[in-house]
Amino acid sequence: MTTQWIASDPQRCTACHRCEIACAMAHHGACRPELARIRIHCFEDPAFNVPVVCMACEDAPCIKVCPVNARVRVINGSVVTNEDRCIGCRACVYICPVASPAVNPFTGQTMTCDMCADQEDGPWCVAACRTEGALWIDDGQRCSLQSTRAQADRVRSARYGASGARAHRKGRMP
Amino acid sequence: MKIVVVGNGIAGNCVAFGMRARSRDHEICMLSAEKVPEYDPCALPYFIGGDVSRGAVFRKSLEDYRRRNIDLMLGQRVVAIDPRARRVTTAQGFEVPYDKLVLAHGGQLFIPPIEGIRLPGVFNCKQLDAAEQLRGHSGRRAVVIGSGAIGIEVAEALHKKGCEVTVIELLDWVLPALFDRETAQRFEAALAASGVRVLKSEKVLAIEGNGAVAGVVTDKRRIDCDAVVVATGVVPDRSVAATAGVAAERGIKVNRHMQTNVADIYACGDCIETVDACTGEDVMFQLKHNAIDQAAVVVANLSGDPVSYAGAYAFARVHFGRMHAVSFGKSTLSTQCQLGELTIVEREKGSDYLRLIMKENLIVGGQAIGGFADYAGFFMGAMRRGDDFAHLRRSRASVCSLQNRYRWTQRLIGDITGLC
Repeated sequence: MTTQWIASDPQRCTACHRCEIACAMAHHGACRPELARIRIHCFEDPAFNVPVVCMACEDAPCIKVCPVNARVRVINGSVVTNEDRCIGCRACVYICPVASPAVNPFTGQTMTCDMCADQEDGPWCVAACRTEGALWIDDGQRCSLQSTRAQADRVRSARYGASGARAHRKGRMP
Repeated sequence: MKIVVVGNGIAGNCVAFGMRARSRDHEICMLSAEKVPEYDPCALPYFIGGDVSRGAVFRKSLEDYRRRNIDLMLGQRVVAIDPRARRVTTAQGFEVPYDKLVLAHGGQLFIPPIEGIRLPGVFNCKQLDAAEQLRGHSGRRAVVIGSGAIGIEVAEALHKKGCEVTVIELLDWVLPALFDRETAQRFEAALAASGVRVLKSEKVLAIEGNGAVAGVVTDKRRIDCDAVVVATGVVPDRSVAATAGVAAERGIKVNRHMQTNVADIYACGDCIETVDACTGEDVMFQLKHNAIDQAAVVVANLSGDPVSYAGAYAFARVHFGRMHAVSFGKSTLSTQCQLGELTIVEREKGSDYLRLIMKENLIVGGQAIGGFADYAGFFMGAMRRGDDFAHLRRSRASVCSLQNRYRWTQRLIGDITGLC
């Protein structure tokens, strides 16, 4: 299955927050950024802005931790919250590596990017983005939990040698 | 090849349906001690409280098993395994031959040796039938023995039903496996504010009643109640494995490929003892996400891919009313018997609280309440990667780039905690 996801370039994003407003408009018909499923983390010195949106991990941890099985993968590859089931326990927010699920302030339920499946003209956030190359729709390889973990293990072994977790184990009693 | 799965829980079903997704040829048989298709034990407290319907508790219907050609045998508790003859025997006397056996029968409720624990009116929240009884109970005053995650969830469910709830904890603070004292105290405040009585450092001596529960006697007082919920934890069921000579300590011992010491017997889920993904220690986390990961490893190995398990990770969240909290990795108590300098990083903002446990500049665990809890995933990522915050402090200026795609998450942690 070829899947699409929303990719971003932190070096180009200017944090104009148009994507957030577009997202809230597309899903809730309200100009309220707190209802957006995309969120921009802003950093200073040096300045860069990271748009965070659900990447629908291949091996999504949110699906595994949800106590009521409300996190489901839908036909277009997105992972969404089933609003009939969600009890607002926030397990998916806490397990997410980038805290991408947003909590709806009115219902307490979580919500994530569904690639604007209900909209004919595709994701509104991408259409709203004014900076060339800050937000785009990418095909193919997703950032999966497995690939992220594999990379994490490489980072760890490059720093601490092949045994990887050695630094953690240093303090173990003999 | 005939694959027999013992247990109809999360792990067992992930193995059976995972194998079926890979191949149509295998004969798959599941032996379930209960008489219902797969349901989610994590949803039971919410079922008791009325947040979810009975139908929503189920993960599968009987039709799903039929459609996938999985032979589900209900009400068949396995009592013996004969590894030489490759055969399992159930309590009802059925004998089922196997080529590969997967033990995924999970754990048993730990029932403390208290007088009166078998009285009518003593409930638990381990299995669906027990949860249904508790949901149907129309009492006004309930006592929950044990303040683990399940104890707290049940207390909230009963509180929602309008019960007057008392939680009794043997140790000095609530959620002792998840929280340090400082975090637990904040959580206790939320419990107390909503009217749940929490009794700590208190031991239940007996459950009183003549034909039905009338009260609980502790070493400090007597509490009138009409229902008692036992939430004192789950212990792995090792008796069946022992009949086949499968090695077990706290739980069944498995290697990284989820194989036991007996040929062609695999094990996964709550019944096994496994390794921590970050520290490599032997651990028992009886958590759903680990069971699903382990089942995937079993499926790969049964299909001939020698995939090895990356290890389990501790992650649990609890909530009461509007207060949400999360715990990951190790608590201060569980790091106590290790060498190495321990630093505690604490941040507080209004009712939000963050507590990170760091050993030699590495995050080894943490707890958070409220707004800080949203960043749990970032901290867990840093813990898993083994981010050295002394090193990161020195390279503060570097911007996120393709070379280091985690840099921004590290900057975010730095902005929250001031660590880098």
